[in-house]
Amino acid sequence: TAERTSKSERQMRRKALPPRAEKMAVDQDWPSVYPVAAPFKPSVVPLPVRMGYPVKRGVPMVKEGNLELIKIPNFLHLTPVAIKKHCQALKDFCTEWPAALDSDEKCEKHFPIEIDTVDYVSSGPSIRNPKARQVTLRVNCSRLNLDDHAKKKLIKLVGERYCKTTDVLTIKTDRCPLKRQNYDYAMYLLTVLYHESWKTEEWEKNKTEADMEEYIWKNSSSEKRTLETLLQINAAENKMQVNKEELLGTKEVEDYQKSLTSLKNEGENEITLSQYKESVKRLLNFTG
Amino acid sequence: MAAAAFGRWLRFRRGLQITGRRVAVCEQSHSYRFYSGNTAHPKVEGTDITGIEDIIIPRKKTWDKVAVLQALASTVNRDPTAVPYGFQDDPYLIPASAMESRSFLLAKKSGENAAKFIVNSHPKYFQKDIAEPHIPCLMPEYFEPQIEDVSEAALKERISLRKVKASVDMFDQLLQAGTPVSLETTNSLLDLLCYYGDQEPPNEYHFQQTEQSEDLEESSEENNEKSKGKTAHQLSCTWKANNNAERIFALMPEKNEHSYCTMIRGMVKHRAFAQALSMYTELLNNRLHADVHTFNALIEATALIMSEKYEERWNNILSLLKDMVAQKVKPNLQTFNTILKNLRRFYAFGKLPALQTLREMKAFGIEPSLATYHHLIHVFYQHGSPVKGHSLLLIYSIMKELEGKKFSPLDLDDDKFFQSAMNVCSSLRDLDLAYQVHGLLNTGDNWKFIGSDSQRNFYYTKFFSLLCLMEQIDVTLKWYKDLMPSVLFPHSQMLIDLLQALDVANRLEMIPQIWKDSKEYGHTFRNDLREEILMLMARDKHPPQLQMAFADCAADIKSTYESQEAKQAAPSWPASVLNCIAILFLRAERAQDAWKMFGLFRKHNKIPRGELLNEFMDSAKVCNSPAQAIEVVKLANAFSLPVCENLIQRAMTDFAMDPEQKNALGNLTALASDSDGDSDSDSDSDSDK
Repeated sequence: TAERTSKSERQMRRKALPPRAEKMAVDQDWPSVYPVAAPFKPSVVPLPVRMGYPVKRGVPMVKEGNLELIKIPNFLHLTPVAIKKHCQALKDFCTEWPAALDSDEKCEKHFPIEIDTVDYVSSGPSIRNPKARQVTLRVNCSRLNLDDHAKKKLIKLVGERYCKTTDVLTIKTDRCPLKRQNYDYAMYLLTVLYHESWKTEEWEKNKTEADMEEYIWKNSSSEKRTLETLLQINAAENKMQVNKEELLGTKEVEDYQKSLTSLKNEGENEITLSQYKESVKRLLNFTG
Repeated sequence: MAAAAFGRWLRFRRGLQITGRRVAVCEQSHSYRFYSGNTAHPKVEGTDITGIEDIIIPRKKTWDKVAVLQALASTVNRDPTAVPYGFQDDPYLIPASAMESRSFLLAKKSGENAAKFIVNSHPKYFQKDIAEPHIPCLMPEYFEPQIEDVSEAALKERISLRKVKASVDMFDQLLQAGTPVSLETTNSLLDLLCYYGDQEPPNEYHFQQTEQSEDLEESSEENNEKSKGKTAHQLSCTWKANNNAERIFALMPEKNEHSYCTMIRGMVKHRAFAQALSMYTELLNNRLHADVHTFNALIEATALIMSEKYEERWNNILSLLKDMVAQKVKPNLQTFNTILKNLRRFYAFGKLPALQTLREMKAFGIEPSLATYHHLIHVFYQHGSPVKGHSLLLIYSIMKELEGKKFSPLDLDDDKFFQSAMNVCSSLRDLDLAYQVHGLLNTGDNWKFIGSDSQRNFYYTKFFSLLCLMEQIDVTLKWYKDLMPSVLFPHSQMLIDLLQALDVANRLEMIPQIWKDSKEYGHTFRNDLREEILMLMARDKHPPQLQMAFADCAADIKSTYESQEAKQAAPSWPASVLNCIAILFLRAERAQDAWKMFGLFRKHNKIPRGELLNEFMDSAKVCNSPAQAIEVVKLANAFSLPVCENLIQRAMTDFAMDPEQKNALGNLTALASDSDGDSDSDSDSDSDK
């Protein structure tokens, strides 16, 4: 049960002081007022901000006692002036950029591997964050010294870690508890992949047509059939006997080979289809 | 090429020290974009690092854990409108006076202590540790000795837990059981006893509440000792003859230097000077050497023997110093500081020895600390005695020497320097010197030497008073804005000084602002401040706008008096206050308020001034109300003021009155002409102007 406060007690009750934003000079040093991330204090921020959903024919609520302003993160401690000062102070900790690396291409050329790591900062009893151990390694496959077979084998080995459009191999590791261990593991993986893709195993000879990544005309069924057809045409017209190698060497066959390969590899579009049509016509000596 | 690349890779990992920052090699796992090449792969052309342009990757810098934070902290300064960060920054929760700020901080600290007490009393509930890395000071501490049997290890444990009585009991038990106690352990027991003077450590230490309830039944003297605070404890604690320390000392089969030294230092700490000196002679008889700390204690003992004259004491000190040389003990900073501290007691005699001491110190190559200069200032600028001769110049040479120097804490008395320096500046009325002292305070980390709250307040009070006295008003006002409230809450005397400075500089328009600030600093009900403000406002006539501002201020002050009146039974309006407020209201043409004040004169029985009554008469004329004029006259008559006659004549001439009013006036005239002693004129007794 609350007692009624007597008149003297009510008068003694503490009165709030005027907000100290009134006393602030216009040219004061704002980073000193908000040096660190702090919640929004309406008596300290001299701006007449309002926030809140207005009721009908009303305005958003004032800043005093406004929970909406306190809930949201504010960056009053990171005004451009403050950031400039911070950067100036942190310059001492930085070393110079190597003068020889003055363009992106040079950086790519000399340092082809890129490592991405993330550090997490939060306020709480513990500074550890389990997400911080993840390491991402990216390398452009054209910089790795791979020949054709090695590259194809590498791509098969890494599976979806390889991106075809940008030709970039991405390895993400987080299976070790520490970032440094994950980094070592990623480098180890890259090394192993490289060496393995250069080796050729016994069973790789058993690569069937279904395993092929792209269409190769040589030794394909299309080659056989084409050659057979041409031989038969030749035989039917009673021309000189030409053998397969000569046939392969002719321009029409080569054209046909190119157009068929491009059709199968690139898919069907206007250009490839028309090329195919032309090459077939020339191969079979159709006019018109 | 592989070797070169490998070498560079390693170089990338190691670090380089930055000058000026404390360095440790720490794990820096920042995310870096580029990594130099492949080290273990067969090298084919393409990743050639040592190409045409040599790419030099600079060594990585390493730094301390807090170096980055310190660098960022150097970009921010003190916010002049904010109170110290320990308080909650809310208009309702900011302390409004120096007393409030102290009580807020004490409340906060007592909350921490209470929490610590709970954690330490029930350690089994606070075992879970989620902090990474581990924070040892948040875990519960164990204060009860674990080892229960009678052994030397148990004694050592009790000594390390600072349990004086328990360790003495354990020692006695050990002796009775016949087990010999090693010399080291006995020495450490002696250390404990001498440090605490054979009393238990003070109350706040280790929260030994439960133990004390048992001890209450024991000697009542100990009880009294414990119930006092820590400083009182150590001050009131004197060395009792034949206490445990002496007893154990006598029991020791062999004593080494450490034992003697501890006993001497303990005796000096607890003010048993003669015994300390006799112990020293015993030490010399046994042909042992004392260490430098013991000598420091002995110097203090010699200086504090009251029975001898100054010269004798100084000669004794000199002989002690000669002993030091003979025993090949090098003096340290404490030696010289102790000498200087005790030379203060020798008053004028101490000046020459002080300078000699300083020269000796320089000859030894010991850098003087702030405490040295503090003692020097005290030797030369004794409180109350006039400063003359070359001692006047001492402070200047001190400040010249100290300019730009950064100090680190070396002596317990280092924090007293700035106060004494500012005190001297204030007594010499030298503002430049004060600026020099303040500049020294702001050099590097020297601000840490300002001392406790009261010391800081003293320093800034003196500084600000000097500023008000000597400096131009604009600069003073800038200092005012800068220092309050972020550094200290001003004393009401400081505000009065500021008001007087404003008066001298003819800037009375700042007065309402100063009044507003005074309310924020808790001086709402200070009589002298309010009277000063009112007096300054009411003294002269001012342009109308300013007059309005003054009137508002006066109304505010009036309301404070009224609220005070409501709280207390006896109203306490001084007459000058009433006069001033009334005049201000009249000048600002707030007639109604003014007439209310008029009523208060009679109510509180205070005499109005003559000019005030004339002004009331003018105001009545403006309002054209003869009734008011009569009121004025009646009041003047009631107090039998000499101006009464003038008023009556004016009333007659200036106002158009009806006959009965004229009659009333006529009566008053008649009464007035019969000298005083009329009606309730006890005005003579309580006339205060």
